[in-house]
Amino acid sequence: MEKIRKNTWLVKLIAKANLSTKNQLVKSFLSSEKKYLPKNKLEANAKNVLKCALCPNMCRFDCPVLKAEKSEALSPSGKTRVAHLLEIDKLDYSRDTVNVFYDDVDCDACKQWCPFGFSVGELSVGVKRDIANKGLAPKALLAVKEKILEQHTVYPERITSLNINQKKKKSDLLYFAGCTTLNKRKEIAAATTKIFETAGVDFTVLQEEWCCGYPLHVLGFQKEFQTFADHNLKSIKEIGCKTIVCSCPSCAYMLKKIYPKGKYEVKHTSQFFWELIKNNKLSLKEVDGEFVFHDPCALSRKLEVYEEPRQILRSIPKITIKEAYSNKKNTQCCGRGGGLGIANPRLSLQLAKNRVSQLKEISNSVVTACPSCELALKEADETIEMLDLSEIILAALNNEGQRAR
Amino acid sequence: MPSEIDRSKGSKTESEKGKIFQRLCSAIGSENVSIQEVDKVAYSRDYWPITFRWLLEGKIFTLPDFVCWPTSTKEVSDIVKIACEEKIPITPFGEGSGVLGGAIPIDGGIIVDLKRMNKISEINDQNLTVTAQAGINLTNLETELNRKQYTMGHFPQSFHCSSLGGNLSTRAAGEFSTKYGKIDDMVISLEAVLPQGEIIKSKNTPKSSTGPAVERLLLGGEGTLGIITEATLKIWPRPEKTVLKSYSFENVQDGLDVIRNILRKGLFPAVIRLYDALETERQFSQFSQARNKCMLILLMQGSEELVELEQKVTENLCKEHAIDCGEEPAHHWLEIRFNVKEAADFAPKDVIFDTIEVSVTWDKSMNLYNSMISAMKKINGVFYASAHASHFYPQGVCFYFTFAGVPIKTKPEDFYRKVWDVAMKATLDAGGSISHHHGIGIMRASWLSAELGQSMEALKKIKHALDPENIMNPGKMGL
Repeated sequence: MEKIRKNTWLVKLIAKANLSTKNQLVKSFLSSEKKYLPKNKLEANAKNVLKCALCPNMCRFDCPVLKAEKSEALSPSGKTRVAHLLEIDKLDYSRDTVNVFYDDVDCDACKQWCPFGFSVGELSVGVKRDIANKGLAPKALLAVKEKILEQHTVYPERITSLNINQKKKKSDLLYFAGCTTLNKRKEIAAATTKIFETAGVDFTVLQEEWCCGYPLHVLGFQKEFQTFADHNLKSIKEIGCKTIVCSCPSCAYMLKKIYPKGKYEVKHTSQFFWELIKNNKLSLKEVDGEFVFHDPCALSRKLEVYEEPRQILRSIPKITIKEAYSNKKNTQCCGRGGGLGIANPRLSLQLAKNRVSQLKEISNSVVTACPSCELALKEADETIEMLDLSEIILAALNNEGQRAR
Repeated sequence: MPSEIDRSKGSKTESEKGKIFQRLCSAIGSENVSIQEVDKVAYSRDYWPITFRWLLEGKIFTLPDFVCWPTSTKEVSDIVKIACEEKIPITPFGEGSGVLGGAIPIDGGIIVDLKRMNKISEINDQNLTVTAQAGINLTNLETELNRKQYTMGHFPQSFHCSSLGGNLSTRAAGEFSTKYGKIDDMVISLEAVLPQGEIIKSKNTPKSSTGPAVERLLLGGEGTLGIITEATLKIWPRPEKTVLKSYSFENVQDGLDVIRNILRKGLFPAVIRLYDALETERQFSQFSQARNKCMLILLMQGSEELVELEQKVTENLCKEHAIDCGEEPAHHWLEIRFNVKEAADFAPKDVIFDTIEVSVTWDKSMNLYNSMISAMKKINGVFYASAHASHFYPQGVCFYFTFAGVPIKTKPEDFYRKVWDVAMKATLDAGGSISHHHGIGIMRASWLSAELGQSMEALKKIKHALDPENIMNPGKMGL
């Protein structure tokens, strides 16, 4: 109805136009677009890619990659313009034309400003699938893909389970720690399981938790991603859980929005912890300290969760929480999204430095809710103190007073 | 290829290009120079609607040979000196949102992208000025000012996607211009690199009487007379209060009369926008009080007492001739003002459309409005022609026309040119100026002589004196 009302003016005008104009308009509306779209069937959404390419780049000011690199080819519409030319065979797939799609953090900053609601990161996934299908993905990334296939995680530590509650085959709640937590930030898993125990939450974990597949998905390795999704889905089904709780927002995003819909809810730990606090399952004592909260973009934008972490922090007595200027849905990416940490570590680090400098203006102590963000920001600046929400909660439970670690 | 860009490219051999590449790399560092194909393609166009056709059809006409990202004024000067010695063209580039082809490297050569020059060096509270490099994005500049409780008051529709330098080079106007002025009104001083590499910098003084202001030649110069590298601009304390209002008038004339009287009182609401009936229907169809009428949007901001006074006076002047439509339509405008969907929606459907902004004094305003609309409608295939007036002065007004049509038995480019030609002629016949704030670029180049008269000859002489090799953005503005 709304659409009809909005376009009444156009219908009226067309009705008033002379016959030759009318005929031409009808012809144009019915047949023109096809002329400009690729003839072959592609993974990329060519119609939306073209729409994005025809925009004056209205989201460019907020693109963290462009802020770091200042190059038109890496601007949001700059990328889709290249994509369109590649798709209609007017530009060759070469190292430099292909590379622009991997210099991407899939952070959805652009999506907020787009009248069509496009995310260039999401549009690029299709383009990268086409590149991979043509066998033209960058060699270094093919090697990373092989490693992930072999290790079931991107990390050489190869840890794929928490090794707790192993005998427990069934539970209403599955804790999916995620491979960054398992391999690089076990403290988050330890804090999280301790919180579950304190609140009397019955839970289990997967015996073999493979990577959720985010890097494979976002880098365009669709078939391989599917293998990972199938493995995890089969294990999840065996557990028969009603809820899956993830420490990593990207895992939560994949399980919730990219995996086929299951008979369970997917939550990020911040959502689940807040429910526990709200329902008086956790008694939080004082934590003395001043922190700034960094919103992970997968959490605040892809999952639209940004109040729960703040509600948790506000419920801790005595703590001081400050806001970064770019916060909530206006957060700025840590640089590790979109597989950029794998595809272009130099650029990824630059983005992390840019974000750290924004956070440090407010506080040197940062709380966040994503292990990948933590690793990125810590690598950019060793002097900052980084804590996960779970660790702050644990400190409040233990009444350690000052800090969790 | 459109006739405007059918030019012979600079005839450099590959080995000459190799030498120039080496020189550029040693001047500004190899990390700041590219000869990659993807970069050349990315800088082969701006937002001139003709380039939509290029993109749709996959035509890549105007590849530069080199893309440079200088990081300082000295580096800009070094690049210009190399270009001068090597006799190779330079096209300055900000964020490529210009709609007249001004940033297209039609003769190839060097793109000088200013984006790595995006620092704010000073916000001076006592003087109410900001000094920033030309490559800064307007939104990012305004955000930094807002954080410190100031505003520049410059919000063109390209606010999210244009650079300070691009705005200065085209003498751009923002939606709040009735209060804050166009960007050229905001300039206190400029630093720029002239076409032979000389660096000029004017003084930070509010006004002076020291001969002609040479640096102001660069304002509206579109990079043909040099490259602006830094500017000091006026800023304002963030407004204490903002009030939104809207009214609907029977016709454009009634609306214009009331607006003229508001300005005669010495009041300058930040935003005044009057839409003709067709645009009102297109933009505000959900507001029944405006059906078949002309919507007026007002936004008044500043210190509380001043805003209250503006609100009172505008209300008194409007209520006799208009229906009060409340705040909602103005909120709606604020919400959608940066939604630019037309190109994406219509270009792939072979509908040609564009906007044309012109200015005129009050006494000729209705004549210009009527003759422009009827001239555009006369072209076979044009099914839409409308306007709103969006920048006001005690002396006159800027009309912003929109047309849309389908080429009938003619090429899209020729149809597009035909509508522009009648529009430009109608503007000149009615005594208007052919551009209020988009500039000249390629599209209006052939009309600039008729606009300027003998002054065009003077401009050409100045151009020749400053840029004897004609390396600075050649082929633009008829220079």
